[in-house]
Amino acid sequence: MPKTLEDIPQHIVSLYKAHPVSSSIRRKPRVYEDTSNFSSIDYGDVIVADNRYFLVTGYTVEGRFGVDDQPKQWVPKVVDLESGVSHILKLVFHEVFSVSVGSFTIPCYRSPEKEARILELTADHARFMKGKAVEDEAGNLVRILDIISGRRLDKHIYRHECSHEEYFASYLPGILKEYIECAKAISFLHHAGFRHGDIRRDHILVEYDTGTFRWIDFDYEFYLPERPFALDLFELGNLLMYLVVRGNYQPQEIFDDPRLGQKVLDTITPDDLSLLSRNRVVNLQKLFPYIPDGMNNVFMHFSQGASVWYDTVDELVEDVEQAAAFL
Amino acid sequence: MADWHKILVAVDDSSLSEQVLNYVGEVVGGIDKVEICLLHVYPEPPPYYFTEKHTLQEYREEKETASLKIFSRAGKVLESHAIVGTRITTSCLMATGKTFSKTILQVQKDGGFGTVVLGKRGISKAEEFLFGSVSNAVIRESHEFTVWVVS
Repeated sequence: MPKTLEDIPQHIVSLYKAHPVSSSIRRKPRVYEDTSNFSSIDYGDVIVADNRYFLVTGYTVEGRFGVDDQPKQWVPKVVDLESGVSHILKLVFHEVFSVSVGSFTIPCYRSPEKEARILELTADHARFMKGKAVEDEAGNLVRILDIISGRRLDKHIYRHECSHEEYFASYLPGILKEYIECAKAISFLHHAGFRHGDIRRDHILVEYDTGTFRWIDFDYEFYLPERPFALDLFELGNLLMYLVVRGNYQPQEIFDDPRLGQKVLDTITPDDLSLLSRNRVVNLQKLFPYIPDGMNNVFMHFSQGASVWYDTVDELVEDVEQAAAFL
Repeated sequence: MADWHKILVAVDDSSLSEQVLNYVGEVVGGIDKVEICLLHVYPEPPPYYFTEKHTLQEYREEKETASLKIFSRAGKVLESHAIVGTRITTSCLMATGKTFSKTILQVQKDGGFGTVVLGKRGISKAEEFLFGSVSNAVIRESHEFTVWVVS
């Protein structure tokens, strides 16, 4: 059973009452020391963890592409009542599901333990979100995350309204520098036996003040016993291609693009398509002829026509560094 | 080079394993010096296994019970090629903290096996990228021993 404000220290109650959130709720706030039933925790409630009192001020949303954002009840936005610092809490949600990669289905699940271990491992690493994991009263691993003041990478690359040629020449070299550091950070995880698990373009935040790219969200875990890092590698490849051409290109998009159209589409062969996402073109030099051979060769390691592919992130990084030097 | 007569055969419950064993039997059936170790490697439980209130002990018992059937069937196939039971040993291992291929390579090294025999399923490039190929990984790492791949 959750407690009430009467059960917590008076100075915390005073801080609670002084917060603007307290004046906007019309019910008795609850105080949760056990977060097992996270779906009952609501705006204006208090979560106790790490001997701190966190007021729930909102929820983060699931940023799925093309789908309306859904609030994630297990990831409340909070403010530490004593310090006044805002955080994001991640509560334990043991979700098991499948992800589709091309025509394959991979069993996937959320692992709070894995995320907690990565937070500890990367505490001094500039390329990862920061936070600490503590157990609540019931032993649930609550992750107290620092908020990164930054923009999603996929929005960051569109912040300048310019042609692709201008983006490619003026902005991409700097973006690739950051990408390479992020890929090295993933290699650091792999060498320590961890995967990121959910590499996507909105899981890198770009700090407003420094422009540093930083990884977020490490709780996805999947089950690929013989090739444990293959999915991270594949997604790093997808991310690289997305950054270079500012998007994904499927046959329909090529057809619809007046700059490309049927003429370019006719040149695309099955070998030009992604090894796993078979409707995505990875031989992007056919669409953007100014992409240098070295960079396109990196892309082609992820194609259906590939006879060799990257086994490690280090191999990918080495090639991207060489290719980026020619931009 | 390790003694090729010491043969490590990776087996599971597939029909491909039976083909592998028949191949081994036909090749070495009449050779007295041959010693065969049947190896069954199984993966670690997926971590969500534990959230469903199962234990590692349960998992191991289940896999080891299944391996007894695999070894029994495999032994019969080899016996049909005149390889007597005294020349056959068995080993059932969980790939703990490493891949199947690395587990097989470790057993090869520890046991000084001169020959490793594996089956190879026909898999697509995409499957190999994502799920891996044990036989390709073993071949890539093979030094000082011979690999037979039966497909």
